[in-house]
Amino acid sequence: MKAKLFLVLMLVSGMGSAREPGVAMQRVLPFPIFETQLENGLNVVTVPYNSPGVAAFYIVMRVGSREEVEPGKTGFAHFFEHMMFRGTEKYPKEKYSEELKAIGASANANTWLDRTVYHMTGNASMLDKMFELEADRFMNLKYSMQDFKTEAGAVKGEYTKNFSNPMMKLYESYADTAFVNHTYSHTTMGFIEDIIDMPNQYEYSTVFFERFYRPEYATIIVVGDVNQDNVVGMAKKYFGKWERGSYQATIPVEPAQNELKRVHMKVDNYPAQLVLSYKAPGFIDTSREAAALSLLASVIGSEKSPLYKKLVLEERKVRSFDATYFFTRDPFLFFIDVAMVNEDDLQYVKDEIDKYVREIIKKPVSKEFLEQIKSRLKYSLAMRMDSPDAIANTLSYFTWVTGDPQSVNKFYNTLKSITGGEVAAVAEKYLKPERLTLATISSSETQTIK
Amino acid sequence: MKTTVKYLAGLMLAVLCSAAAVNAQNVRPEHKELIKKMQAEEAAKLKKAEEERKIENPTGDDATDQDVHSKVGGDEKYIMLPIPGSGKIVLKYMFLNGSASDPGGLEGLTYLTASLMAEGGTKKMTSTQVKDFLYPMAARTSASIDKEAVVFTFEFHKDHAEKVYPVISSLVYEPRFGQDDFERLKSNQQNYVDEVIKASSDEHYSKMALEERLFRNTTYQHLKQGYSQSIRSLTLEEVKAHYKGFFTQNNLIIGIAGDYTGGFAKTVENDKAKLPNEYPPKPDFVHPEMPEGLQIEIIAKEGALGAAIYTGTPLQATRAEDDFAALMIANSWLGEHRKSYSRLYQKIRQQRSMNYGDYSYIEWYEKGGQNMLPLPGVPRSLNYFSIWIRPVQTAAGLNKQIADQPAGMPADKDAEQDAGNDVEAGPESQSREIEYGHAYFALRMAIREMDKLINEGMSAEDFELTRQFLTSYMKLYVQTPEKQLGFLMDSRYYGRKDYLAEMENLFEGLNLEDVNNAMRQYWYTQRMHVAIVTDAAEAEALAESMRGGEPSPMIYSPALREVLSKEILAEDEEVSAYPLEIVNVQVTPSELFFKEPLD
Repeated sequence: MKAKLFLVLMLVSGMGSAREPGVAMQRVLPFPIFETQLENGLNVVTVPYNSPGVAAFYIVMRVGSREEVEPGKTGFAHFFEHMMFRGTEKYPKEKYSEELKAIGASANANTWLDRTVYHMTGNASMLDKMFELEADRFMNLKYSMQDFKTEAGAVKGEYTKNFSNPMMKLYESYADTAFVNHTYSHTTMGFIEDIIDMPNQYEYSTVFFERFYRPEYATIIVVGDVNQDNVVGMAKKYFGKWERGSYQATIPVEPAQNELKRVHMKVDNYPAQLVLSYKAPGFIDTSREAAALSLLASVIGSEKSPLYKKLVLEERKVRSFDATYFFTRDPFLFFIDVAMVNEDDLQYVKDEIDKYVREIIKKPVSKEFLEQIKSRLKYSLAMRMDSPDAIANTLSYFTWVTGDPQSVNKFYNTLKSITGGEVAAVAEKYLKPERLTLATISSSETQTIK
Repeated sequence: MKTTVKYLAGLMLAVLCSAAAVNAQNVRPEHKELIKKMQAEEAAKLKKAEEERKIENPTGDDATDQDVHSKVGGDEKYIMLPIPGSGKIVLKYMFLNGSASDPGGLEGLTYLTASLMAEGGTKKMTSTQVKDFLYPMAARTSASIDKEAVVFTFEFHKDHAEKVYPVISSLVYEPRFGQDDFERLKSNQQNYVDEVIKASSDEHYSKMALEERLFRNTTYQHLKQGYSQSIRSLTLEEVKAHYKGFFTQNNLIIGIAGDYTGGFAKTVENDKAKLPNEYPPKPDFVHPEMPEGLQIEIIAKEGALGAAIYTGTPLQATRAEDDFAALMIANSWLGEHRKSYSRLYQKIRQQRSMNYGDYSYIEWYEKGGQNMLPLPGVPRSLNYFSIWIRPVQTAAGLNKQIADQPAGMPADKDAEQDAGNDVEAGPESQSREIEYGHAYFALRMAIREMDKLINEGMSAEDFELTRQFLTSYMKLYVQTPEKQLGFLMDSRYYGRKDYLAEMENLFEGLNLEDVNNAMRQYWYTQRMHVAIVTDAAEAEALAESMRGGEPSPMIYSPALREVLSKEILAEDEEVSAYPLEIVNVQVTPSELFFKEPLD
């Protein structure tokens, strides 16, 4: 279920100072993370890893749909990600494609609430060429009106593809309901009206590039068969002249939610869905609340959870069940999402969730249960880190949320000492009806649960 | 007893000739008793033949035709890939039976059996206890089920090997098969086929609908999850019998990779003897008939936002043939998966923004919507060439877009003329109510590009660049120990030691003529099945236009049209009337798909 919700939410689609990783902190990642900040503010992260001949090259831009603050411009960060493949004077799109093909890398990009990530994984001996190509387009992007308008159509095609899934429509609807001011109210794809209008936004696209495609928004992460000196040398050579910008979007502050909100979609011939989304705080790597909310998600929605066992395995009233606390820059949502066997049980399942939450608030979960969750999180991470791409991807996540790739180690350090009492406290504080947006899909015309 | 007979009947069906398989695929309730009788007789014959073989050859070592797949050598069924220092261990059990082994009328049986093995606990532990036990160690279990193989993959930290192995191996050797888990997993499987597949992703739906048509009357036809009707009839007894009959030690390749000890590897190898020493019947892998011309199936779905298109035609080559290397280069140039520099992508998406992407394939590609690189564990002996055209605009979408951006709104008249809007099908012709969207044009465009490639051949520069690309790119298929092991195991299936390394060697020996000849030998453009999932409101109009072979002018929004080059618009003209050898166009309501085999 996590995969389902995650897919729906994730769209889509000179001289520097080097510093060693903190030695006082125990690392959950068994590799050193080397960082160098160039004079222009560009952060360069290198993680040498035993992957003969292979390297992953990521550029994390801390701009996503969160930064889309102007009316009529929703979806623009994602659209702009598409435009980044439309070439420069030195490498027009055909030449760029040819060069990319010659590298033989797996390359793509994706956009979400807080970030746009560009990535290439390929032959480590081609790293210099990767740097050259990326620096050229990040500094000198140039596309024609024809290319701009054509790419807008491809974005509409992506919308068409994604929105054949009712869950995507539901998410679009409850995000818009849950948030009244903040830009998390729209999906990363953007509203369809704005997507249709994209071909007319050429001028704005140049403004967008000038504002955000600047070194202070960027972190380069290179993992694999590389060493720090070479990586930093290439970064300076190709990105050293990238000029700082000065723009900072003013993100609207979301007022406190004071009442339960509801969203319902009537869909026939589709399993009934229940999504409980509670307003939750943004992620801070040393925040005990953020760590406790991560554990709370497993206490509720993991296969170890008594509630999961009851609803999925024993009573078989639910097909899939999960809870997720997403790491975001600003306050977002804590999700509990359920795919039902029978829509007549929607009320029962909602009541069971409420009952379980009350129980874990009243009587905090055992230390043993919590330790098992912590153990799983630790081993899951360790086992996932088995390729340059996987490591770079994990580091990019923490980088776009906090700006600091070391956050991965800080977060897991914080996690270790969280108690059942702290988990109960965040459940009590955040899983309140007045913080909830209750979303359902069923064959009924209206929402049928209290 | 009833279920045993029914099951044995199913076993037999899997080994019948193709003509018998036709009957099996079309099994109806009134025929069941007769078929059961035939099946029981055939099963008895099979059993007798089996006994005789055992008497003649008790070990079965050199009896290649008894093996489930003749290309897998008896000494190559245990693949070891030590990676000291990696910290984790990957263990794979690849059973060489998949949904193609489902008996007629019991489609979905392999899927349910494998799901229960992976998710249903062991003789000693319930599913809940297994999940509880594995949870803190984050040991991962998964099952991949395809037409000819079921692969169980287990990944765990080396520190936990001694604790984890007895449990996970018991999932394979001593599955619990409890009634509760059976009901739960069967219900999920039923729901997937009844509802989810048609409502979650139209492009995946079109891919599955294509297979239903392309493999008609073969053991490959049905969804691996089965039909609505067949799943409903599955019983736990049939699952148990299927497990005993097919998940045997002679049907298994084991692979181990990572940070394991020699003793551990030995235990894994020896434990294989816990499975029955039987030889399961092998389904009859008969290539589907080549279609006459283009056979178009339009699936009419209420409210579909786009038209999702998949085309396919049988391909008489797999990774086992050396010619596959040449086809890889041709296909990569034409439509490499998720690559912007392939021809189809450039023509349909990049130049015309008709959709999100367009690709071609020379073998099955698992979960293409979610993966940039191919997954292992889905080997097939029946291949087909396919083109995936991601959803294009429907009539409703285009009408709305044009209404929202009326002609002339942002247009500069001079620029419009410069851009070549003096060709037909310009803004004036677009003022009409559009009856169907881009599907027809997109299909023409894709087939025309493929025709051009075959007829004109690839250029020497493109050949060299594509070969260079693939030589580097294929190394990325195996970035993790799990992928390395998986591709090695697949290699054995195709009778190769290391498919990726061997393809690289073959690339070196290829020249341009080899590639051009391979395309001409193996590819057919005007003999294809086409599945289009689209809005029911445009289905009939689209079908009627295709039946009449009418031109399909390209329709752009005014905002886009005004900036397109003369070359593109002129090419559109040619594409819009490109001759297609359409022989049959059929409109099928979406609700009829996957209920039972379609005629």
